[in-house]
Amino acid sequence: MKKAISLGVAAAMAATLLAGCGTAASSAAPSSEAASTADSTTAESTAASEAAPSEAHEINTTDPIELTISWWGGDSRHEAYQKALEAFHEKYPNITVSPTYGAWSGWEEKQSTALAADQGSDVMQVNWNWLYQYSPTGEKFVDLREYSDVIDLSQWSDTAKNACIVADSLQAVPISMTGRIFYWNMNTFKQAGIEAVPTSYDDLIAAGKAFQEKLGDDYYPLAIGQYDRMILMTFYLESKYGKAWVENNECQYTEEEVVDGLNFIKSLEDNHVIPTRPTMIAAGFDSIDKSQEWIDGKYAGIFEWDSAPSKYQSALADNSGFTVGEEIKFGDKANGGFSKVSMGMAITKSCQHPVEAAALIDFLWNGEGAAIMGSECGIPASTAGLAAAQAADAVKPLVLEANTKVLAFVDMPLDPYYESSKLKDTTDGVYTDVFDGFSYGDYDAEEAAEILLDGVSGVLSANA
Amino acid sequence: MSSAAPKTVQRTPFKRWCDENTGLFFLIPWILGFLIFKAYPFASSLVYSFTDLNFFKGISQYGVMNYVEIFTSRKTVSVLLTTVKYAFITVPLKLVFALFIAYILNFKIKFVNLFRTVYYIPSILGGSVAIAVLWRALFKDTGVVNTILGFFGIAGPDWLADKTWALFVICLLRVWQFGSAMVLFLAALKGVPADLYEAATIDGASKTKQFFSITVPMITPVIFYNLVTQIAQAFQEFNGPYIITQGGPRNATTLVSLLVYNYAFKSNEMGMACALAWVMFIAVALLTVIAFTSQKHWVYYAD
Amino acid sequence: MKLSTAHKIGRFFQYFVLILVGVIMIYPLVWMVGATFKSNAEIFAGIGFLTANPTLQGYIDAVTQNYGGDISIWRAFINTYSFVIPKVIFTVISSVIAAYGFSRFKFKGRDMLFGIMISTLFLPQVVLNVPQYLMYNSFGWINSPFYLPLWVPTLFATETYFVYQLVQFMRSIPHDLDEAAAIDGCGPVKILYKIIAPMLSPSLVACGLFQFMWSCNDYMGPLLYVQTPSKYPMSIFVKLSMDADSGFNWNRILALSLISIIPQLVVFFCAQDAFIDGISAGAVKG
Repeated sequence: MKKAISLGVAAAMAATLLAGCGTAASSAAPSSEAASTADSTTAESTAASEAAPSEAHEINTTDPIELTISWWGGDSRHEAYQKALEAFHEKYPNITVSPTYGAWSGWEEKQSTALAADQGSDVMQVNWNWLYQYSPTGEKFVDLREYSDVIDLSQWSDTAKNACIVADSLQAVPISMTGRIFYWNMNTFKQAGIEAVPTSYDDLIAAGKAFQEKLGDDYYPLAIGQYDRMILMTFYLESKYGKAWVENNECQYTEEEVVDGLNFIKSLEDNHVIPTRPTMIAAGFDSIDKSQEWIDGKYAGIFEWDSAPSKYQSALADNSGFTVGEEIKFGDKANGGFSKVSMGMAITKSCQHPVEAAALIDFLWNGEGAAIMGSECGIPASTAGLAAAQAADAVKPLVLEANTKVLAFVDMPLDPYYESSKLKDTTDGVYTDVFDGFSYGDYDAEEAAEILLDGVSGVLSANA
Repeated sequence: MSSAAPKTVQRTPFKRWCDENTGLFFLIPWILGFLIFKAYPFASSLVYSFTDLNFFKGISQYGVMNYVEIFTSRKTVSVLLTTVKYAFITVPLKLVFALFIAYILNFKIKFVNLFRTVYYIPSILGGSVAIAVLWRALFKDTGVVNTILGFFGIAGPDWLADKTWALFVICLLRVWQFGSAMVLFLAALKGVPADLYEAATIDGASKTKQFFSITVPMITPVIFYNLVTQIAQAFQEFNGPYIITQGGPRNATTLVSLLVYNYAFKSNEMGMACALAWVMFIAVALLTVIAFTSQKHWVYYAD
Repeated sequence: MKLSTAHKIGRFFQYFVLILVGVIMIYPLVWMVGATFKSNAEIFAGIGFLTANPTLQGYIDAVTQNYGGDISIWRAFINTYSFVIPKVIFTVISSVIAAYGFSRFKFKGRDMLFGIMISTLFLPQVVLNVPQYLMYNSFGWINSPFYLPLWVPTLFATETYFVYQLVQFMRSIPHDLDEAAAIDGCGPVKILYKIIAPMLSPSLVACGLFQFMWSCNDYMGPLLYVQTPSKYPMSIFVKLSMDADSGFNWNRILALSLISIIPQLVVFFCAQDAFIDGISAGAVKG
């Protein structure tokens, strides 16, 4: 008896194991179905806006339909989504939407595990890189152009939409776009005798000198971590040399140019504009808003996402001097810098009711829902959505100011693999190794440049 | 229960088999549990380790390339060494400390319940967000530890930024959470028969001598248990470096499980993650086999 | 005279060590209590206990936030214990049975099975997550309203850590007692629950206690297998408001963490007597 059971179990195990390998192996090659749709979409057009659905869709307003949606965030985002879902249910009483939500911590693990088992929720708030990471062949998310008669895709700019086209499939609509900008604590600047917001490299250097002389060695006009350094260097290089960091799956910069960029970062350290990495690590904080130095005004500037100001503002002991800065143009060939999709919304292929799911997305980001969501997920990238949110007075002014400045300034495209975890990871990413190693003095500029370029080309060729 | 009692009753071979394997019947739930819940994930991870599986791209290559990469790449080799170093610092410190405290708590002490609870608190807090905040505040350059050292005229290092000291900070975190080991030692100490001590006291043996000649031998099974499980846990340590140093500075606190996690969840190189996990598995298994063979020289069992 | 001075010094030394170490052990909790009344800026500004402008907002938010009726702190507590308690009970029972089989009997293949069991301690959970998820998915257990993936395995002694723990403690119990019982006609099952289990009770309590603490703190397990917010346990509820992007109030997170560990503290405080009473009742006399 026992033997029979265990044999049965073992057989079942073996079968599932084999099945597991089978699905995994077959997913390597795109199925013929997927290949044919890919062909047809390329044939139509690569521009996102021109594609049309192959058949007309009608939202079911009579039969009971159940949808699931997932997002991560904090309290105010949870509340906004819930209100918006209520409003959606009022509009479509036959559709019930069950949410699952949580904090960011562990969320990506939860969702990637669920996606691996095709158990993702029907509608999913996704990070931009998820499209490339979890659906590189378009296997997990629906091509939203198929539902362009339900979602008004014309509300998004082509740049924003194109960023979400992976494997020739519009796998998500961008909820918001984001980029980097400076924020300053002008109270400290005033103590150092500086009244104006820095707008140039020379201003930064002058501020570094003034801070050191008037306030002491512990005061810095700017504090930037390893990834911030990579982004700032990219801004510098792109502006000075007038070419994107990566284009056509290839890094556009030579080793000498990268050495120049690294020396630019070094000059900020040498001129007391930014603290060295050892100094920052020794101060023991995991993000700058949680550092005593920022709270007390010893670090008087950051280079952060445009969605982040409220966190930094509320952290300050005295936040009267908190100011959204100006983008700084480091060269004369271009403005430099990039914006990216901060998050998007997708429909999983396992969804049983994609038409109604599409209606939900349209409601949330183009329709009445957008007025409720406001800037809870960043400044809406949809034109109609932004208008609705502004009309409802649901947009944080500080975030809007930062977002407007960023989007008006940046003029370079961003390669989707720029933020690959192989590069960006705080533990073993290439950026961390390069900028920490450089600041620790483990590498000179030439060595650091070589490691960086090797790392970048490694990631690019792996994803080619 | 294979007692050699004279057998007068004629027994069928089946009955005899049952008698010889009584123990197996008690293991039925465990065997089923293993086959149903563990065998498949374990076997899969071993199979995966010989592939370049990415759950979202599939498999394009089979072979031992992951293992080759692990033993030839400077990064993984140095991370493996760091992990060994971490385990060899943490495990003995934690065991000695837990045993020492349990030994003191085993005397008649006022408020003993309170002390025991207090000592277990760090273990309850576990990987709580509060620990990360506080541990950083203790060890930052101008933190509490350096302030105290300053009173004694010692200029403390920049614990978190120093490539040598940072690992020590991570080790201390786990030593500090010695509660579980302490609880088990306490339970074991209570089980040492009191008359052994009485006899020793009459013979004039000092407390220290009693500790080493009576207490320690009597609780060796639990010491051994703590040793084996702590080694297994130390090699899989994740939370400490993850919440406090994120593996930095300059990878000085990057332990194997951080890399496994990154491969598994950040870059989706499941094959690599599994291979690294199995390398760790073999390492711990070897240590455990050594420990188990050494048992007969120093672990005292009643059976 | 000389002896009693030495004795006093010994006593003093004991208390000195206990209190000094105790302070280091308890300070985080003390700090947490203080921090629940602080603002974000104060929390990260130093590790003092007192605050200039204490606020109760952290606690108010902690107990009033209910996410549109989806989940409140009380509900989260109930959810937690509704799977932790069965888990603890099943772990203790199934582990003691398996431990009995391993430690009291000799049979062919025992050592091999024991080796297999111990080796399950050595593989990190991260690489098992996805296969496990696929497996539970095929059982239809994802988002089970009864938290099946979280406790059903414990019915089958899958918690090696505890099986091995009980094996070790069992092996310290001399055989004469069960042999005597066997001569009196007790079968192996009766010996287990009449003789072995009572003598083992301190370590059974320890085993239940650890399982209780660890299961209450487990975050990834519930996060993977529970989808419906009204079913979230405390470990997820504590973190729900943590928005890494726009920031959150730490006093509230800490207040929640504090409230969430109170039952664990109480359980530990009460259960610890069981190590001692259990032993004196069992009275292991060589």
